[in-house]
Amino acid sequence: MSDALSFEDIELGDELAVVHPDVSMANVKKFCGAAKHSFERFIDHDAARAEGFPGAIVPGIMSQGLLASMIHRWAPGCTIKSIDTVFRGSLLVDSQITMTGAVTDTDESERRIELDLTILAEDGRTGVIGTATVEFPV
Amino acid sequence: MGSGSSDLDLATIRDDWVGVEFDWATFEMKTEDMIEWAEACGEDDARFIDPAHPDFQAHPGYTTHCMSGRVLPEGFPQIGSGFGIDGGKSVEVHLPIRSGDTLNATTTIADVFDKTGRSGTMIFIVQRMEFRNEQDDLVSTVDWKMIKKA
Repeated sequence: MSDALSFEDIELGDELAVVHPDVSMANVKKFCGAAKHSFERFIDHDAARAEGFPGAIVPGIMSQGLLASMIHRWAPGCTIKSIDTVFRGSLLVDSQITMTGAVTDTDESERRIELDLTILAEDGRTGVIGTATVEFPV
Repeated sequence: MGSGSSDLDLATIRDDWVGVEFDWATFEMKTEDMIEWAEACGEDDARFIDPAHPDFQAHPGYTTHCMSGRVLPEGFPQIGSGFGIDGGKSVEVHLPIRSGDTLNATTTIADVFDKTGRSGTMIFIVQRMEFRNEQDDLVSTVDWKMIKKA
């Protein structure tokens, strides 16, 4: 843990490394299995098209989990105190999506920071926006 | 704060329904599902994927998949059109959720409000689930925003 990002290393405006998470059908099916999500629009392209989507879509709660993992990878050992995501548009399974984040506030007394989070679809549309509060160990 | 196509006054609905508990459920936290969830989310922190880790716990948003038995309370007024769309989820992590925990969830209506934008007036109904462990400690709060066209 010695090389972990510490609260003292962080400055307002810092950006998290961009991440392209795995939203392959195999991985989304794995998530849906753990989440007991049996909706076909998440795990079957044809079924999703029949519902009017361009293809199977990534569950909203999975997109939130992907963002949480991005935060943990950026700041190992940190604790996510809250994460709030707004689902703006669909993210397609088997596509390349892009996650970004930036520090928007810091609180020295609580050793907490605020992050703005975004997930872009492969075509550049905004799929998810969000915020998170993250606490750092002493 | 108009109520769009509904003749109902949202302020009255808020007064009548915000804070009303309408569903109670129990959820078992299983190691395999906690790990699969975290791994599928791309997690590589041992706290979330290694059950032998001394601080092994559920991923922050793990409770978001625990669904209330009812979407709205019995007798809740018909406002907006259609079933509504998922507007997003907000999670507060109060304490770690451990493998083997049995969580008791209580569901309430947390807020009802509207917003008017380019696509017209939309009604937001916020459903809140609070999760407590066997020690009755609050471990997680999940707010789910359901959006309906007014």
